Amino acid sequence: MTEGQRGPGSGPPEPRRSGGPGGPGAADELSGLLTRVARGDEDAYAAVYDRTSGQVLGLVLAVVRDPAQSEEVAQEVMLDLWRSASRFDPGLGSATAWVMTLAHRRAVDRVRSEQKAAQRERRVATATIEYDDVIEAVEARFERERVRRCLGSLTELQRESVTLAYYGGYTYRQVADLLGVATGTVKTRMRDGLIRLRDCLGVDQ
Amino acid sequence: MRFRGSDPHTLAGAYAMDAVSEPDRAQFERHLSRCDSCRQEVRGLREATAALATATAVEPPVALREAALRAAGQTRQMPPAATAGVPGGWGGWGGWAGRARRDGRAGGPRRRGLGYPAGWPGPGRRLGWRPRLAAALACALAAVAVAAGVMTYGMQHRLDQAQRRDLTVAAVMNASDATMMSAHVSTGGTATVVMSHRDRALVFTAADLRVLPGTEAYEIWLVGPGGTRPAGMITVARRGQMVGPMVVSGLSSGDQVGLTVEPTGGASRPTSSPVLMLPLSSS
Repeated sequence: MTEGQRGPGSGPPEPRRSGGPGGPGAADELSGLLTRVARGDEDAYAAVYDRTSGQVLGLVLAVVRDPAQSEEVAQEVMLDLWRSASRFDPGLGSATAWVMTLAHRRAVDRVRSEQKAAQRERRVATATIEYDDVIEAVEARFERERVRRCLGSLTELQRESVTLAYYGGYTYRQVADLLGVATGTVKTRMRDGLIRLRDCLGVDQ
Repeated sequence: MRFRGSDPHTLAGAYAMDAVSEPDRAQFERHLSRCDSCRQEVRGLREATAALATATAVEPPVALREAALRAAGQTRQMPPAATAGVPGGWGGWGGWAGRARRDGRAGGPRRRGLGYPAGWPGPGRRLGWRPRLAAALACALAAVAVAAGVMTYGMQHRLDQAQRRDLTVAAVMNASDATMMSAHVSTGGTATVVMSHRDRALVFTAADLRVLPGTEAYEIWLVGPGGTRPAGMITVARRGQMVGPMVVSGLSSGDQVGLTVEPTGGASRPTSSPVLMLPLSSS
C-alpha cells in the first residue's frame, strides 16, 4: 500500500464521472492511471473505475441487454482491467480504446456462448426480431451528439451494419442474414462505415 | 486443409468490432502480423468504435463499485507480457484480447444452408428424433438377428463386434447431452449426426448420397483445433442406400464433421474440397 498512501495528496480520484471520455487530456490521464494500476496502486484503480465503469456498463448493456448479466460482465471487465493493466501499451492505441475493446469482447463472448451459436443463428434467420429494437435502444441512449451526428453521416447500410455488429454483437455473417445482403457487401460496409466514422470523429490513428 | 478462402483485408472493420468468428479472427490476425498498414488501420477503427462505446454510458449502481474494488484487492495481477514476436508488439493487443474468448465459441466456420435446414429441430429440442433413430437402430439390430439365424463360430465374433458397436450407438444416442444435427451434402443426400461431448463420440448416418465410381469412396473427417483426423470410410454401392450408423470416437470440443471424396483406400489427409462441413454444437 505504499503507492496508495500517497494518494490523498497527489492524485486521488476526483468525483466520479460516468459520462463520455471527458475533455482533452482525459485520455492521457487514463493512460497514466493504468500505468499506476499496473504497479498495484488501488487508488489509481478506483480512479480508473470511476472514469470507465459507466461506459463499460453502458456498452455491455447495449450488447447483452439483461441488466443482471450485464452487471456481471461489467464486473468481469473491471477485474480484467486490474489484472492485466500491465498489458496495456500506449503505443498501440488509446487507453479508452483498450478498455472498450476489452469490454466489447467480454460482452460479445457472453451473448455468443450463452445461446449456442447455432441456436442464435437460427433465431436470427427465423425471426426478423430485434434489429429495429437494437438500433432504437441504442439511439435512445445516445448522449453524445457528436457520435450521433457522425453516425448520421454514414449511408443507411453502413450505419445498420456497424450498429448491428457493434451494439448488437452479431457477426458479419449474421448481419448479412439480418439485412438480406451478401457477406462481402457487409464486410465492405462495416469497414467503409468505420473509416467514415473515424474521419468524422477525428480520432487519433 | 483449406475450406474457405477470401481476401482477409476487407475484414478490418468487422474485426475491429469483434464481428467475426474464431476462424475468421485467427486468419485475420495472421494477416495483420504481416501487414503494417492493416494494423494501423485497425488501430484507427478501434478508436472509432471506442467512441461508439462512450455514446451509451450509464450510471452504474454503487454496489458495483464496491464489488469491483473489493475484487481487485483480492486478485493477483498479471505480470507484463513478454514481447510477442510480432512486429510492433501487435501480439500484446491481439493476443490479450484474444485470450478472453477461448471458452466461448463464436460458432466456428459456418456455411449458409448447413446446420439446421428448415424442418429440423435444433439441438435444444430433442423430442421427435429419438423415434426416428430408434428405428434406424432397430434396423441395424434386425440385420444382426438375420445373420444370427445362420450363425457359425466365426460369425459369433463378428456379431460380438456388431453388438458392441450397437451398444456404443445406443450409449451416444441416450447420453444426457445427446444432440442431433443434420445437413445436406453438396453433391446430394443428407448426413445426420448425433453427438455427445460427454462420450466424446458421435454417430454418423447418411442417406441418398451420390453413388461413386468403384475407385472412390466418401471419407469422414473430424476437423478442429486438434487438427484434421480421418474418421471412417463410406462406400455407397447403390442409389438410396442408407449409411451407418457409424460410431466416430475421439471427438473434441470445437470439432466439425467434414466429408470428402477420396480414393477407395482412404487418405490420411483430405485431397479434395469437402462436400459437407457440419459445425457441431459446442460444450
